[in-house]
Amino acid sequence: MVLAKGEVSEVKGLMLRGGRSVGGRYVADWRTFRPVVDASKCRKCWLCVMYCPEGAIGRGEEGAVIDLRFCKGCGICANECPAGAIEMVREE
Amino acid sequence: MTEFDVMPGNKAVAYGVKLSRVEVVPIYPITPQTTIVEYIGEFIANGELEAEYIQAEGEHSAMGMAIGASLAGARAFTASSSQGVAYMHECIAQAPGYRTPIVMAVANRTLGWYWALGPDYSDIMPELNLGWIVLMAESNQECLDTVIQLYRVAEDPRVLLPAMMSLDGFYLSYSYEKVLIPDQEVVDEFLPPYVAKYPVDPTISDKWPAPGLPPALHTTYRRLFEEVLGDAKRVIKEVDEEFREIFGRGYGGLLEEYKCEGAEAVLVTMGSMTTAARRAVDRLRREGKRIGLVKLRALRPFPKEEFRRIAEEVNVIGVVDRMVLHGTGGGGVFADLKSALYSLEERPKLLNFVAGMGGDDISVEDFMAMGRKVHRVLETGRVEREVEFVEHPLPPSRGPVPMEKMPIYPSSGGCAGCGASIALRNILDVLGLNTVVINPPSCATVNYSAQVSVPWVLANYAAGPAYETGVFRAYRIKGKTGRIAVIGFSGDGGTVDIGLQALSGAAERGESMIWICYDNEAYMNTGVQRSGSTPLFSRTTSTPVGKLWRGKGQRRKNMVLIMAAHRIPYIATASIAYLPDLRRKVKRAAEITAAGRGLAYIHIQQPCPTGWYFPVDKTVEVARLAVETGAWPLLEIEEGRLRINFKPRKLKPIGEYLRLQGRFRHLTEEEIAEIQRVVEEDWRSWLELEKMGKLPWY
Repeated sequence: MVLAKGEVSEVKGLMLRGGRSVGGRYVADWRTFRPVVDASKCRKCWLCVMYCPEGAIGRGEEGAVIDLRFCKGCGICANECPAGAIEMVREE
Repeated sequence: MTEFDVMPGNKAVAYGVKLSRVEVVPIYPITPQTTIVEYIGEFIANGELEAEYIQAEGEHSAMGMAIGASLAGARAFTASSSQGVAYMHECIAQAPGYRTPIVMAVANRTLGWYWALGPDYSDIMPELNLGWIVLMAESNQECLDTVIQLYRVAEDPRVLLPAMMSLDGFYLSYSYEKVLIPDQEVVDEFLPPYVAKYPVDPTISDKWPAPGLPPALHTTYRRLFEEVLGDAKRVIKEVDEEFREIFGRGYGGLLEEYKCEGAEAVLVTMGSMTTAARRAVDRLRREGKRIGLVKLRALRPFPKEEFRRIAEEVNVIGVVDRMVLHGTGGGGVFADLKSALYSLEERPKLLNFVAGMGGDDISVEDFMAMGRKVHRVLETGRVEREVEFVEHPLPPSRGPVPMEKMPIYPSSGGCAGCGASIALRNILDVLGLNTVVINPPSCATVNYSAQVSVPWVLANYAAGPAYETGVFRAYRIKGKTGRIAVIGFSGDGGTVDIGLQALSGAAERGESMIWICYDNEAYMNTGVQRSGSTPLFSRTTSTPVGKLWRGKGQRRKNMVLIMAAHRIPYIATASIAYLPDLRRKVKRAAEITAAGRGLAYIHIQQPCPTGWYFPVDKTVEVARLAVETGAWPLLEIEEGRLRINFKPRKLKPIGEYLRLQGRFRHLTEEEIAEIQRVVEEDWRSWLELEKMGKLPWY
């Protein structure tokens, strides 16, 4: 079912949301294409961080860092990167 | 020769509607009903059915339209599920008194309470005792046939009542089966056109159904209604029998007995679960158990006399209920059956199994276990437990990835490339952890409500701004105004259509809270139906492109002006391509509402790759083009002063924006030019309003 299960409370029959019932969602197995960052091209403008629908991109020392556990491979980052630093590579 | 096709239950219903030559079809999307009305829309768009097709702004209106059409003498059909049926309730209650023979399909889905999409009968339960006929279908074929039968029953002068057909969501609505499609000519002979005897039509009749009665007549007319519903039992049986003679298929009228010969015990089932129960009874019979099956077809009128006859032949009856009458300890059909049998001299023992709630599967093995329990009572003569809940453990699934607390956690169940996610992540990043989200049903409910660490309240569809008002007022009385950001986060349906009344109320009362519409320009969560915010000529599943139709025929509502008419302190449009602008506007809205100045409204255009049919990596690009072409101007109105935030020297041609999207693929050059004209006209109007300095209404 689409709605996530929650957390059982001490009130009989009351299901809770929040707390430990929420967190990141593992979606790596959704991907057909994987974003690969070329750190040498990254200008650290962080547009990809703001535009990533999954909140899967972080600001690394060397440039954008993609947490592939949370990436669906939509490719918006690659499409929007003004430096052309992200390439979409087909998953094996 | 009779045609056949392999189709889902919802399409079978649509065929039933088409063959019944329904004349008016008011609709509103809700899962799992929506594809019924989508299929009907396709029939009409392609000229296969001549009917008025109206997408209402909510279910309450859809049923209102059906009643109006039926009163005026047209054959009307509508369909809904769950919350939608509940929202119709007031109009549903009115239909029997007006004697409007509307047929309505309910693709069952559990109602309210803890939300889910799967079926149980909690949605039709509140509608059972209002005077409607309610039949339940077991198979897709029965769905098609029952629609046709029900028009005959409902329009019969001995009955003249509205009728509901219940089909299990998912189990029937989306499951494919072979379905025979009767010939139109034969159906025409079976079901002649509807001729209302007392239509609301001054050219035909100078009398019409009365809306009210003096109290002294109420008891009498309630009794008369019971007599009519009693007569309806005979009509349902007659019609089913005649249908069987003509089409070769019958469903037993009010109920069907399966392997009841020589049975000393029976299971009572209804709807699609019956098929699994049949297999269980087959096996139990092979094991030598003297058990049969009764499939209840007519929930209303309840076949009391038939059950009394069955009760004389068996010693134990086990009722399998997909419906709980909370506070009574058991199921609905169980209660009905008990009351039907109580006055018998010798009564069989009764058992109740509550099973399959919220769409939980009831397997053949479950029915075997129930059958054995029923049989044990037969052997021992003792009922140890009258009501039993048939429960299953939650199947294991991957839990959330634990992370440091943040307003919204990474990823979601949403589509790849979802623009709503971009909007929501940036909004919550600006507002922080002390935020409460009020959200009427939408894609965001399904995809993001389980991804946030800030409280997320799912509101009823028409009541989003009302829920939010309640939260805001509670904070205000507790002296917390300004310490917690209260935001409504709603799709376009929940804002410009079904939610508009509550939003208008909140705006006019000056509730100091933020309402954010993330506008993907159609009902995406139910599969892309048109909304009041869908742009001109856009293809949606309720404005399909066919031989006769060219997508949506109307321009979208101008929500900025609607909100401006309420003189609220802050109104803005925003785009997911222009995030610094979007974030600034969210911040401004938070400041204004924290100061208690009134409602702040932000309308964000959110391209949807799934519903607009463009590649998933183009979401931001499409959003940017919407702004650059003038299709989605970025502007804000603070205390009546309108400012256009992005003003290119020259707008890009609209074709650049439209051509990227499949929803506009059918457009001709003339149609594109028409959109270009509309966009330029709007753009000039905004420029003029900006020049005014302050809008005249403020």
